[in-house]
Amino acid sequence: MSGYDHGGPAGYGQPGGGSGGGVPGSPGSTYVPPPAPSPYQQPPQQPPAKPRTSLAVALEQSRYRLLVTAAVVTTVFTAISVKLAMATLFAGGGEPRQHVALEVDTTTTNRADIVDRNGNLLATSLVTQSLFADPKLVSRPEEAAQKLVSVLPDMDYKDLVGKLSGDRRFVWLKRNLTPKQQAAVHRLGIPGIAFEREERRFYPAGPLTSHVVGFTGIDNSGLAGMEQGFNKRLTEDPGTPLQLSLDLRLQHVLKKELTATVQEFSAIGAAGIVFDVRSGEVLAMVSLPDFDPQDPTGLNPDTLFNRATLGVYEMGSTFKIFNSALAFDAGRIRPSDMFDAKNPIKIGRFTINDYHSLHRALTVAEVFQHSSNLGSVRMVQQVGVAAQKAFMTKMGFTKPTGLELPESGWPLVPNPWREVNSYTISFGHGLSVSPMHTVAAAASVINGGLFHKPTLLKRNSDAEIPTEQVVSRQTSDLMRRMFRFVVTEGTGKSADVKGYVVGGKTGTADKQKGRHYQKNSRMSSFLGAFPMHDPRYVVYVLVDEPKATAKTYGYATGGWVAAPAAGRIIKQIGPLLNVPTVDENSPEILNSTFLNAAGSTNWQQSLPPVSAPPPSKGSTVASFPTQTKPR
Amino acid sequence: MKGKTWLFWGGLIAAAGGVLFQTSYDVQDLEEKLAGLNRKIIHEQESIQVLKAEWSYLNDPTKLEQMAQSYLALHPTEPRQYVAMDLIPMRPADAVPPPAPALPGQPGAAPLPPMVRAPGTGTSQVASARVPAIPNNTAAGIVPASVPAAAKPLPMEKALERAAVVVPASLPSGGGLADPAPRVKPSALIPGAARAPVEKTPERAATDRAAGKLAPNAPTAPNRTTEVATRPMPPSAAPVPAPKAAAAQQPYQPKPTDSLGLLVARLGANR
Repeated sequence: MSGYDHGGPAGYGQPGGGSGGGVPGSPGSTYVPPPAPSPYQQPPQQPPAKPRTSLAVALEQSRYRLLVTAAVVTTVFTAISVKLAMATLFAGGGEPRQHVALEVDTTTTNRADIVDRNGNLLATSLVTQSLFADPKLVSRPEEAAQKLVSVLPDMDYKDLVGKLSGDRRFVWLKRNLTPKQQAAVHRLGIPGIAFEREERRFYPAGPLTSHVVGFTGIDNSGLAGMEQGFNKRLTEDPGTPLQLSLDLRLQHVLKKELTATVQEFSAIGAAGIVFDVRSGEVLAMVSLPDFDPQDPTGLNPDTLFNRATLGVYEMGSTFKIFNSALAFDAGRIRPSDMFDAKNPIKIGRFTINDYHSLHRALTVAEVFQHSSNLGSVRMVQQVGVAAQKAFMTKMGFTKPTGLELPESGWPLVPNPWREVNSYTISFGHGLSVSPMHTVAAAASVINGGLFHKPTLLKRNSDAEIPTEQVVSRQTSDLMRRMFRFVVTEGTGKSADVKGYVVGGKTGTADKQKGRHYQKNSRMSSFLGAFPMHDPRYVVYVLVDEPKATAKTYGYATGGWVAAPAAGRIIKQIGPLLNVPTVDENSPEILNSTFLNAAGSTNWQQSLPPVSAPPPSKGSTVASFPTQTKPR
Repeated sequence: MKGKTWLFWGGLIAAAGGVLFQTSYDVQDLEEKLAGLNRKIIHEQESIQVLKAEWSYLNDPTKLEQMAQSYLALHPTEPRQYVAMDLIPMRPADAVPPPAPALPGQPGAAPLPPMVRAPGTGTSQVASARVPAIPNNTAAGIVPASVPAAAKPLPMEKALERAAVVVPASLPSGGGLADPAPRVKPSALIPGAARAPVEKTPERAATDRAAGKLAPNAPTAPNRTTEVATRPMPPSAAPVPAPKAAAAQQPYQPKPTDSLGLLVARLGANR
């Protein structure tokens, strides 16, 4: 019985308390309730109740319908009022769009400028107009093409006719018109041809900073250099220019001297870096040959290669800087210690020898001065392989430099680092690093032992410089004297500039072609720093495959090729960098820079320092004969 | 009465409507104007960007160097042209006048950076030094009150030419200190050694100005009135015993080619 009630309001209303009330009035009824009856099938089986309940049913029905309608209407109107309130009260009161004046100092372009440390523009975006056509609207393609060619002579008539008579609704005719060209085309008044505002990247400095700044593609996304490395920053914050640490003036001096050197020695390339040893900023970086960032495509891909950061080379004798620093820092070796540089060293199937041996024992100072391979090996023998590996890791020679450029080379590190590797690394072979690695590490050796991560972004004067103490202050002091000694009496004499107390180390490495070293293709380099009593800047010059000239007596080594260039560079950039000139022979300067061949740092005992030239019978690989003063 | 009320309200509504319409049209006008201005601003910004790019392009160091080589006789500065301040010896004690009070707003006298100034600065000094010789010189009358030493900018060539005539005559007995500097044209074809004093001339002039006294060769009335009038404090220490200084200067007798010596001598004689 209760089965009939369960339909609730959906049932057709059985006011008599269910079917129980109606059924008894029909005797002999064979009615048997179905096991699961649907209430909708019920009414035909209740004919007796109909006359009494139809009104009630109808009333009930309409009540429900009204309820449903009311609910729907309420919901809809509530929604409308809520939206109305939101649109009127909470969304600016229905005011028309606000008109505001433009900020004056903002930029209209979508990519930030790049400037050098003095604010000179290195890269900027200019708004240009590009010409496009809707061929459907061009009524006479031949005539239109004729007119266009008359003002844009570099366009092809047949090609234009083809483009203008096509079926498409949009076709580019020419990108990035100059304002003059735009005016000329505008004056033609051809229907169906219009201009589109576009941006074009422009590099006022041209090839001068090409490897650092890089370039962008036609759609203004960075494809190389800082344009690529800071692509996101440049597009996200177009209002503030990106300030680099470069100095355009230094960049120019560096490039000029490198170009002259490359021409003089018919070299295939060169790289140069000017580095601030106190902050880790790269003040200038040049790689030759370079390219025009305005038109980098279709060129010799060799010109896109950044030798200063991407190229990794065996550095040759400049690595003796780090070998000596390692020896001093280990605490067992002093500048006056003697090492045998007479007998060749045999290890396995290799024999290590000096190119021009002095055939005697040398002090550490002399090993550095004459760039003796044998002496260097004997020094590292005392220190050990593990210490050398740890030191080279500390100097950053096992990973990229962390410079912001995407073109950062991975060093080629020997694995495993065996004894023979440690021998060759001591004089700069067997471990290939980029010039940037060498410069950053050398700066840390002479600036008091603080390693600064190199950067191409200008540091704020109050910003903290991330540093790491890699060698002790005493080691650094000795290394400064060694640097100075090489320039006063060693292989780097031609780099000296009066007044700037230059120091440095030459380097010459034979280039590896395939599996063999080649005798006549080499990398000559000079790593200079000034002023040595208080180092501030490192100047690095690397010349790739210089050919000896008659003027250099057949030598194409670091001392003959790179050192004079470095000297000329220092001479010109010193005044620009506001480095005060000093008298090299004044007691204060000698106190902090003097070192003699015997390894003594006491200049008063060994006066006059200049009149005692070291006995030199020739030179090692990375030197020139000291009898003849170069240049 | 009722009609009047209706009239009143109707008039009010009409007036309000009129004002509203007027305002609306005004706003529309202003908006159009603003949009026009914004367009112009964008255009100007783009033009500025183009000009900046062009300026940078024309200032490319490579280009500048080429032009300097072909049109000027100047060379890049060299280390030897710079002298540290400590290297300059002190004057003998008897020549030291009482220190002039530091004037507010004037540049400090001593630590001037060894920079090369525009030749105009030196020229104006020369021009004002010439005042006593030609009293009706425009320089004395037109000198702006706030800038005592900056005379009316003369054409450089003219000023140099005149200075060459007058300066030696009006020099105190400086003991062979006939100053070659003003006669030297900045673009003259002399090598660095002789050019050094030219570059230091403005420094000396600035020193004089800062110390609140006149150029030693122009101690006469017209110029001094100008000077005194413009000074907040009348420099009591201004009249330097010139003969004494010159006498003390006698031991320093530099050769005309000795640029450092000339510089030292002049610094000493004028302080």
